[in-house]
Amino acid sequence: MVIDLKKCIGCTGCALVCKAENATPPGILWLRVVKHETGKYPQVRRVSVPLQCMHCAEPPCMEVCPTGATFQHPNGIVDIDAELCVGCRYCMMACPYDQRFFLSAERTYFPGHTTPFEQAGYQRHQAGVVSKCNFCTPRLQRGLEPACVANCMSRARTFGDLDDSNSEVSKLIRDRAGYQLHPELGTNPSIYYLPP
Amino acid sequence: MARTEPFQIRIADLRERYRPQREWAEGRGLLLILAHFFTGAGAGAWLFAVPLGSDTGLVAGFFLAVLGAVGHLFFLGRPERFWRMATRMGSSWISRGLVGLSLFLVTAFLYLALLFLAAHTTTLGSILLALSMLGALWTIIYKGFVWASSKGIPLWNTPLVPALYIAYALRGGAAVLILLAGLGIQLGAWEPLEPIKLWLAVSTAVLVLIYLEVMRGSGMTALRSVNLLLFGKVALPFYLGAVLLGLIVPIGIGSFAYLDHIPAGLLALVGLLSLLGDLSIIYCIARAGLYRPLPT
Repeated sequence: MVIDLKKCIGCTGCALVCKAENATPPGILWLRVVKHETGKYPQVRRVSVPLQCMHCAEPPCMEVCPTGATFQHPNGIVDIDAELCVGCRYCMMACPYDQRFFLSAERTYFPGHTTPFEQAGYQRHQAGVVSKCNFCTPRLQRGLEPACVANCMSRARTFGDLDDSNSEVSKLIRDRAGYQLHPELGTNPSIYYLPP
Repeated sequence: MARTEPFQIRIADLRERYRPQREWAEGRGLLLILAHFFTGAGAGAWLFAVPLGSDTGLVAGFFLAVLGAVGHLFFLGRPERFWRMATRMGSSWISRGLVGLSLFLVTAFLYLALLFLAAHTTTLGSILLALSMLGALWTIIYKGFVWASSKGIPLWNTPLVPALYIAYALRGGAAVLILLAGLGIQLGAWEPLEPIKLWLAVSTAVLVLIYLEVMRGSGMTALRSVNLLLFGKVALPFYLGAVLLGLIVPIGIGSFAYLDHIPAGLLALVGLLSLLGDLSIIYCIARAGLYRPLPT
């Protein structure tokens, strides 16, 4: 995935649609947008940076997982098998991007009341296990783009195959000097950012 | 979805830089800290009790390790699946730790059973004792590597952390036996432990200083963590627990013991304070852990 920071307006629509698509419980934010200030006065700039699981090619979370609950799909997407997870949270400590979330107990948005949306959506989330963004794998299986990509109003997000040098994402990274977060850690994230 | 819990997101968790890790230090995370402390002290006590011929020390070490194992179990979000954690020994230090701790607990239990039946001098007893010592050593070693392999937290992601945890586990083991001696329930000889304990306390103090100095120069996040330890919200447990109770008092009383005989009550106090210091340092290092800043 490529995120163009020049186009991102920081509306947090991607975070909202992520919650809607995946029905994540309160306190669980698979995607968030942080405001980042760069430069020095008077040349100061404020940039909105969406953050989510980087789907690293060399995921440290998968390496430390004691049960094999964290795994990589053949297409490179890093996912979690909730049935195997024991909730040790080792992966949360190993993730340099802090993009994993632990649901300690079942929670609802309204005290003592569960909406029909929650009743339907929360069946996908177990208490006592770790969860994270999976690039909307169920949508990908239906031939759709991840919800954050499909719903980005400024079209700041582009989804595609990084292994294909002719894909749009590869071209964008090449032409616009796309960069990864913390490349020095050797995790080789699959999300690239285009400079603002 | 019967239960509703308050939102646990805090302002510090939403900021872009130096976000604190909470899962291994708050709430049920405290169980993990207690578990690491008890398993380390228990395995250390076992290792010291064997050459000293202290049956009480063996029993104490075993029960402390059991306490630690229970802490580990209840820390898990899904304790009923704990057995799955033994399946990834090739890459995960938690898997390796579970195997080591299980080896220690099972063989130590069987050896204690033989000891109770006065059949521990047999070949089987010797084999079980050797295996239990291997398991205890394994238990002491793996814990530091669990923390050190956490790439997300620069304060922990250093080879100095395993060395620190090994030193503290051995110190804790010696402290347990000294505490037992001070309370008058030590059956074997404990006198050789006192110089060992003093040496361990001094070397641990040096190791802590080296660790903090190295981490101060290991990037902005590690520096922030060290500042949290020295001047921030973790400073009180660090200075009071880890430094004063855990290092200064035991070293001071231990040095005095060379000059004059110290009463049993004071001996017990040295052991107890050392243990409190060990627990404090594990807590402080966990609590001061910060994630790397995002974005860069």
